[in-house]
Amino acid sequence: MTLTQYQLAEKLEQALGNPQQADSLMSFQHTAELDEAEQFPHEEIAWLYNWGLQNYYIPTDCGGKFTSFEEFVAFVRVLARRDLNISIAFTTLFWSFLTWMAGSDEQKEKLSHLMREEHTAMCLAYSEREHGSDLVGGGVTATKVEGGYLLNGEKWPINRATISGVTFVLARTDPEGGNRGLSLFMVEKKDLDTSTYYNLPKIKTHGIRAADMSGIGFSDCFVPDSMLLGQEGHGLELGLKGFQITRALCAAFSQGAADTTMRTTLNFAVNRKLYNKTVIDMPHARRTLSNAFIDMLICDCVNIGAARGFHVATDQFSVWSAVDKYFVPVTLEQVMKDTSVVLGSRFYMRDEHDSGVFQKALRDSAIISMFDGSSVVNLHVLILQRRQLAKARVRIRKKPEKLAVVQDRLEQSFSLSQPVPTFDPTRLELISRGADDVMQGIEGTIAKLEALKKSGDSAVDLLRPDPAKPAQDVLSQVLELAHVIREELDAQDVLITESAFEHGHDQSFESFELAKQYCQLHAAMACILMWIHNRELAEMGDFFAKGEWLVVSLHRLLSHFRMTPLLSSGELPAAYHENVAQELLRLHKADKMFSIVPFQLAQSQLAPPPSTQSSSAQSHPNQPSTQEATSHATAPEPQLI
Amino acid sequence: MQQLQNPSSSESTPILKIQAWLVEQIADVLSIDPTTIDVKQPLTRYGLDSIDAVTLVGDLEDWLDLELPSTLLWDYPSIEKASAYMVEEFDVTVD
Repeated sequence: MTLTQYQLAEKLEQALGNPQQADSLMSFQHTAELDEAEQFPHEEIAWLYNWGLQNYYIPTDCGGKFTSFEEFVAFVRVLARRDLNISIAFTTLFWSFLTWMAGSDEQKEKLSHLMREEHTAMCLAYSEREHGSDLVGGGVTATKVEGGYLLNGEKWPINRATISGVTFVLARTDPEGGNRGLSLFMVEKKDLDTSTYYNLPKIKTHGIRAADMSGIGFSDCFVPDSMLLGQEGHGLELGLKGFQITRALCAAFSQGAADTTMRTTLNFAVNRKLYNKTVIDMPHARRTLSNAFIDMLICDCVNIGAARGFHVATDQFSVWSAVDKYFVPVTLEQVMKDTSVVLGSRFYMRDEHDSGVFQKALRDSAIISMFDGSSVVNLHVLILQRRQLAKARVRIRKKPEKLAVVQDRLEQSFSLSQPVPTFDPTRLELISRGADDVMQGIEGTIAKLEALKKSGDSAVDLLRPDPAKPAQDVLSQVLELAHVIREELDAQDVLITESAFEHGHDQSFESFELAKQYCQLHAAMACILMWIHNRELAEMGDFFAKGEWLVVSLHRLLSHFRMTPLLSSGELPAAYHENVAQELLRLHKADKMFSIVPFQLAQSQLAPPPSTQSSSAQSHPNQPSTQEATSHATAPEPQLI
Repeated sequence: MQQLQNPSSSESTPILKIQAWLVEQIADVLSIDPTTIDVKQPLTRYGLDSIDAVTLVGDLEDWLDLELPSTLLWDYPSIEKASAYMVEEFDVTVD
């Protein structure tokens, strides 16, 4: 049985069909054609609205069906594995969280209605040609006049600037107001005088060529007071908090793209014969792919942990989302490059092998690490908080009652069988005040591992299907590696605390390297936490429970830190690598997501039906047949310009 | 919260200590001569950007062992205003 929070993703999969089949709605062939033609995917997006996916961007108390970011990132992966043009264009709807966070009841009701009933899309207009990510330096102004404001200036480059009904605009309302001089507006374009705003031409891009990447300009454009979101002067704070939400969600785009590049590579590697051998049976190719799969599982632990943690450790997201947004896209970009070696020259072809989807996913996903704060911006956010993180960790270790609360929160963040509390965006904070449960929980987690090991004939052993791979070995190795994490973190904390702290934008190259290491240590801890809290969960399966993947994951992450062997036993057992490869091939054959939660994907119509364990075969109750949906999809979005 | 002391009562008032601490920190952050900092001027005038201002609040919290609004230096953008606010709104004690 699939975990409840993954059932929506399975239903969407089934409704969309297998993208390798040319006649499916978002097939690789069709989305490649749209991309080549640089044609915005109007019909496909209309289909998603008709299916009702926009409801899952709207919290239940605002009239929608959103309850969990874990569910959210799972369905974004389903879209992203097909096409990033469509998924990125549709998912600009997540900017609605600005309204759910700061809007008045009337604004929430209005936006909810627009999304649900009028299929309105939105864009985020923060960036400016001359100011990049320097939001405070922005030149767009909103001058107070009777009953509203006059907007002036241009926003660029903005995804969906032209093809959207609502634009969230950040503008300066007080020239002398400094950080409190910016305000955020939820601008409904249909209510504007069309002679007072204009769109800038579509920008030609390397990837997501079908995207509406353009801009918007205002010339004495009147917006009524009712379009001001939150208090005047609070735009920067809202904007930065909004980024904490979307940064963590962006990682799901990369995950979907990496799933596709792995899948298309396996389509080749399991069939292609060279030198009387199948490619997948060649040691280098096999290990390359199994290592790439491990990296994907590590990213899963980080991103699923973050998606759940949003609901639990909301006030720590200045740290968690920065780690997630840096680590996952950058790691998966490398996964794609590594995987391409196995596919060979086909990775570079635009119309061969699964409609050239590899090169397209590679091109399209290259922008993810830039969206909503680049990798550098995210590392910078971490650097500025790093000293406080180090100090807070020293302090909290002296307070057992606080450490116990950290362990409780971690269980809620990582235990997939537990429901998450309702997300409360008002709990977001610009800084985490040194808190990062994942790292502060390291001692408690080591204690749990030790207790498990001591119990000897613990539940771990009962789950062990293969006597040749004693789980006690796995536990010992995980423990050894967990101690390495702690030692490295301790050493980094001391270094950070003792070294001179630089503020602002004068951070050294070395500071960025240390921040990257912090992300790797955070990722390693996320893997342990995911395992320790879910290893007995039947839905996760034997591969997950056995934990060999965890040992390989930790070994991969920590090998960046030390030249000496990480394990007292020397190298990793070859069987671990082989079992990881076997799991990868099993998921490929069964058309399941390459994930720690390998939910069922749409299968080829010629393939046997999905196993009875999956609830995915049932279509969405409100879902029209593909034929109907396609005909519905011919209607353009009502709000589009 | 009650105001602990009259800011002008003596050299050792919490408000003056906070001011002195902020002058020292900001001079350090921005690599400028502390004597050139006027406590009445907006901090943005010296080049303190939005994230620096938030980070500095974290340092203040560490120093005072007190939880403060992270946007304190946005809302009270001069050293004088921020110090006065902290003393008025929080039970600040400075050793």
